[in-house]
Formats: sequence, C-alpha cells, structure tokens
Amino acid sequence: MTGLALRSLRHRSTAFAATFVTVLLGTALIGSFATLIETASGPVSDADAESLTIMGAVVGGWGALIVLFSVASTMGITVRQRAAEIGLLRTIGGTPRQARRLIRSEALLVTAVAAAAGAALAWPGGRALLAMLRSGGTIGQDVSYAGGFASLGATAAGVVLTAMVATAIAGRRALRGPATLVLSEARAQSGRMRWWRVGAGLLMIGYGVGLGVVTITVTADDPDPYAAMQTAGSASILVGLGLATLAPVLLRWTGSLLRPAFGGGAPGYLAAYNTTRRAHLLAGVLAPVIVLTSAAVGVLMLVGIDGRTMTVAPNAETETINLLNNVVTGMITVFAAITVVNAFGAVLSDRRLELHRLHLVGATPDQIRASVLAESAIVAVAGVVLGVVASLATVVPFAVARDEGVVPDGQLWLPPLIVAGVVLLTLGAARGGLARARAVPVR
Amino acid sequence: MNHHPALAVTGLAHTYGEGPGAVRALGGVDLPFHAGTFTAVMGPSGSGKSTFLTCAAGLERPTEGQVAIDGHDISDWDEDRRTRLRRERLGFVFQDFHLMPYLTAEQNVALPLRLAGQRPDRARVASLLDRVGLGERRGHLPDTLSGGQQQRVAIARALVTDPAVVLADEPTGALDSTTARDVLQLLRGSVDDLHQTVVMVTHDPVAAAYADTVVFLVDGRVAGRMERPTADAVAGQMAHLDDLVVAR
Repeated sequence: MTGLALRSLRHRSTAFAATFVTVLLGTALIGSFATLIETASGPVSDADAESLTIMGAVVGGWGALIVLFSVASTMGITVRQRAAEIGLLRTIGGTPRQARRLIRSEALLVTAVAAAAGAALAWPGGRALLAMLRSGGTIGQDVSYAGGFASLGATAAGVVLTAMVATAIAGRRALRGPATLVLSEARAQSGRMRWWRVGAGLLMIGYGVGLGVVTITVTADDPDPYAAMQTAGSASILVGLGLATLAPVLLRWTGSLLRPAFGGGAPGYLAAYNTTRRAHLLAGVLAPVIVLTSAAVGVLMLVGIDGRTMTVAPNAETETINLLNNVVTGMITVFAAITVVNAFGAVLSDRRLELHRLHLVGATPDQIRASVLAESAIVAVAGVVLGVVASLATVVPFAVARDEGVVPDGQLWLPPLIVAGVVLLTLGAARGGLARARAVPVR
Repeated sequence: MNHHPALAVTGLAHTYGEGPGAVRALGGVDLPFHAGTFTAVMGPSGSGKSTFLTCAAGLERPTEGQVAIDGHDISDWDEDRRTRLRRERLGFVFQDFHLMPYLTAEQNVALPLRLAGQRPDRARVASLLDRVGLGERRGHLPDTLSGGQQQRVAIARALVTDPAVVLADEPTGALDSTTARDVLQLLRGSVDDLHQTVVMVTHDPVAAAYADTVVFLVDGRVAGRMERPTADAVAGQMAHLDDLVVAR
C-alpha cells in the first residue's frame, strides 16, 4: 500500500500541495510559540517563566486552534474529493481495509514530511520570538533559548495526529456502504451534520459568548488591565471557529436567502442552487473565510481599543503585547488566506468535469465563470457577515470593559476595510482556482 | 419546413496533432441527415465515431470540410457562437447522462432554456417529463434516480429547445438491456411522434436496429450503409467490416 500511496501522491501532487503548505505553516506557527513554553521550563526566574508560559500557551493557543482547524478542514477536503476514486479501488477488489490504509499512508507521508519541515522552521521562529520578548523587556535579558525536541516534537506530533484524525473521519464516510454506491457521483444533498459536530460548534460559540460576558461582568473590574484583554481576546476566535464548524448549515441558509437577489440570470441561478444543495462542498471554503474575518476584526479592534484607553504611559511591556497581538493577527491572517485559496483550488479542481458538462449543455465560458464567481460571492458575503458577528464577541465586551460603550470610539473604518479585503481575496481565489482548473483539458 | 437537411457534413476531416505523430481521425466524410430521420453511426473503436460527433456538435473545429446545421455552415464560427447554437439548435444525450447533480429533474430539463436567457416554459417541461414517464419525479435530484431514469431526464432535456438535431453518444452504454430498450424507444418515439432528427453513435447492434438507417465508419471513412436494419443484420455487417473496406 505504501508503494501505491507514493505513486498516488506523485500523480496528484497539486491536490496534496494544499495539505503540505497548511501543515508546514501550521507547525511553524504553533512550534514557534511552543518553544517559549520549553524555554520557561529551563533555568529562568519565576516571573519570566510565568510570562513565557502565558505568552506561549495563551497567544500560541489561539493560533493553535485556528491552525488545527485549517489542517482538519484541508484534510477533509482532500479525502472527500477522492470518494469516486476510492469507490473504483473497491470495485476492482480493494477491501475497505486496504482503501483505508491507502488514504492513511498518503496522509501520513505528506503530513509527516511537512510537519518535520515546519518544525525546522519553528526553530529560528521561536528564537526570533524570544529575542523580541527580550528586547521588549517582557522577560529578563538573561533568558536564553531552550526550544528543542520536546516542544517541536510535541507540536509536530500534535499536528500530524490532528491531520490523521481528520483523515479518519472524512475517510469513514468514503468507505461506508457497498462499493458500487460509493462510485455514484458526489452526493448532491449535503451529508447531514453529525450531532457531535453541531454540539462542538454550539459549545465553541457558547464558550466564546461566555468569555465576552465574563469580560463585562468580572474581568472589567480587575485591577490588572490585561485581565479583560485575556478573556475578551479569544472570544471572537472561538465564536468564529464555532460558526465555521456549522458552516454547511449556515451556507445553505445564506444561499436560500440570497437566491432572489440573483434575479433570473442563469449563472446566479446555478450558483444559488449549488451553494444550497451542495453546501458541504463549499462549506470548506466558507469556514476559513469566517475565521479569517472574525480573528482579524476582533484582534485588531482589541489592540486599537487598548491603545486608546491605556491610562498608564506606554511602556515596553504594553508595546510588546501590542506587537505580539499584531504579529499573531498577521500570521493568522496569512494562514487563513492561504487556506481560503487552497480550499477554492481543491473544490474547483474537483468540479472540472461538472463545469465541462455545463459547457456541453450549452453554457458559454463567460456564463461558467460568472456562475463560479457568483458562488464565491455568496461564500464571501456569508463569511464576512458571520465573521463580523463573531468579532462582536470580542469588540463589544472589551469596549464596554474599557468604558468606550457598546460601540468603540475609534477605528470604525477598520471592519469595512477588512471585509473588503476578505471579499476581494475570496473572489480572487475563485478566479485563480477556475483558471487553474480550466488549464487542464477535459475529454 | 425548410429544404436543408437538419444536419449535413461535407468533406469532413479531422487530424489530431501535427507532424509525424499526427493522427487522422476522420478522412473526408459526406453525410446528410434529413429532418425526421433516425440514423445510427457505427464502427469499431478508433473508427472516428466520437470525432465525427464532436465535430458535428461544434465542440471541435474540423481540420477540413463543413458542418451545416439547418443550412448554416458553422465550421468557422467562434466558440461563443457555436455554444449558443449548441444550446438552441442541438440536443445532447450522453453515455453518462451529464445531469447537474444539484438541480432537480425539472430544473435539469429547463437548464438549456435558462442558459439561453429564456424563461422556462413550465408546461413544456412538465409535458416532456410526462412523456419520458417521470412526471411524478420532477422534484427529485439525480442521485435519487436510477441510471435509466437519469437518462430519460437527459432525453427530456435534449428535446426541450425543440432542436434541429438530437445527437446521442452511446446513450445506452451505461444501462442494462431492459432500461436501454426504454431509452431507445423514447428516442424512436421522438422521431415518429415529434418529427425530431436523431443521430446516434453506438457500437451496439441492438441499439442500431431502432434507427431508420445505419452508417458504418471504418478508419475515418464511410464504409457502408444499411436501410431498415435488424440487430442480426447489423451484427453480421459489423463482423465483416474489413470486407466492406476492401470492396470499396
């Protein structure tokens, strides 16, 4: 099976490139913060150890949530795409067990190599992060870098494990049922969401909203001005991840809502039905759009409010914290953007045959392009609306806690700017994905 | 009624690739297909059947020769114009149905009209679905229909624009013999009752026997014809295609 897995990887290198990049960057991001925790366990003062642990665990933790989510959704897309091929393998006599081993061998090969490379990147990454904290004065000058196999190994193992669990869950769907049924075309109706997925989504939303409530009722009155930031900061990311988990249902609703807005034109008509009846396919794109918007709006507004309302004169510590917040937001944004582009590429390359069929039935190339762009517009609208709603879980409580009221006093231009950026990114990803999908001829 | 054949190809030739590796798939085919006739195009694999169909459908531009639909020569039209012609004047039935998985039977049938920017005529769509025996299932998505039912939806879709020609590419290739018979009877019925013109590419003598005329292609050329074919006669002819070529 390993030989077959290797050949299969070579054959579909572009599809697996998405997985590779996601795992590589994810491991590098989480790993950099994980080295801080390992450094904290070395010969450092208690105060420094606490700062390092908080920085590594809290800030790194937000990032880890987003990274693991992206890895899981990318693996899900990669495996589900291949349902038909797996079905073929089974009809020519492959047992479900062999097919499962093929899927797992492929996933393990790609993620292991990517995670190892990511860990190698995290080594200098963690060093740079530590140097930044040291020069900011958050920790003593005597703290020396002690990241190594323990933190980087654990990070790589964690990322690979997440990818494998996601593969197993996605693979189980492809392998259920008799072989001939698996061969039928990717099911039109979205597979109903499992109870645990709905539960996990609601739990994250509830937890995020709860953090917002705690910010207003408890940590707002804390003498430490950063207590409110700690509770409010991750609220938007959690709500965003929760909404992303429920993406198939939310996309179906949005598609039905927007259907009348597209009028009678064929491209909009096709796009509206595609997003509602095959929400599970495009939900893989919607999820990172929601997370990207909620994380960027939430954290950047948080930093803005903090800058306006800090009564003490800015010192090295506040500057470091703001810098770190910006760095983390930047990395998360880049990461989520890559995931959006990857996901669109994967979805569209999967739909090459279907788009060709549309052409045979009489759709002009312009109509096909317009239909794909309309789909991406539905995804973008749903993503930014839900993402902005999720960001309120951070922005409103923190603004209240810092006595700015429900609406922050400044930077109100920021959300529209981010929304415009995300919409452009989503449409651009669809255009790029379509161009690549059409570059390969279908016969 | 106009006096042109519904579809006519003249001197149709097509070569894939260039230089020494070039493959001549069609080598000068002249065939008129008159309105209200059912023609089967047969031949072994590599005989040029598929190339003939893709050129006749305007999907591929022939290297030489003309394709005329309703008397209009389309061979040097651009892609957009050919696409518009395809959805307004041609109906397609494919081996693997080619239905949009996210549209219901009814919506799939109406799709060519929608792509042409027309408001689908619900009564016409409903009567076509009734005609193919799927009136009750108009709201079903393709994956809840059997292969035979999906192909019947595809036939209704091919007829919805009242095309000049219905082109069928191995329409029964993915079906068992009982459902294949239903599908062939529907095609036959559309010629007899609706005065449609059907051109069907197939390698199955039983399917070819539903046609008025069978045309045999060998090595990219017409190697013979048979009027009022029977399955046995067609099978016998297919077994001796080499003789036909020699006899030419």
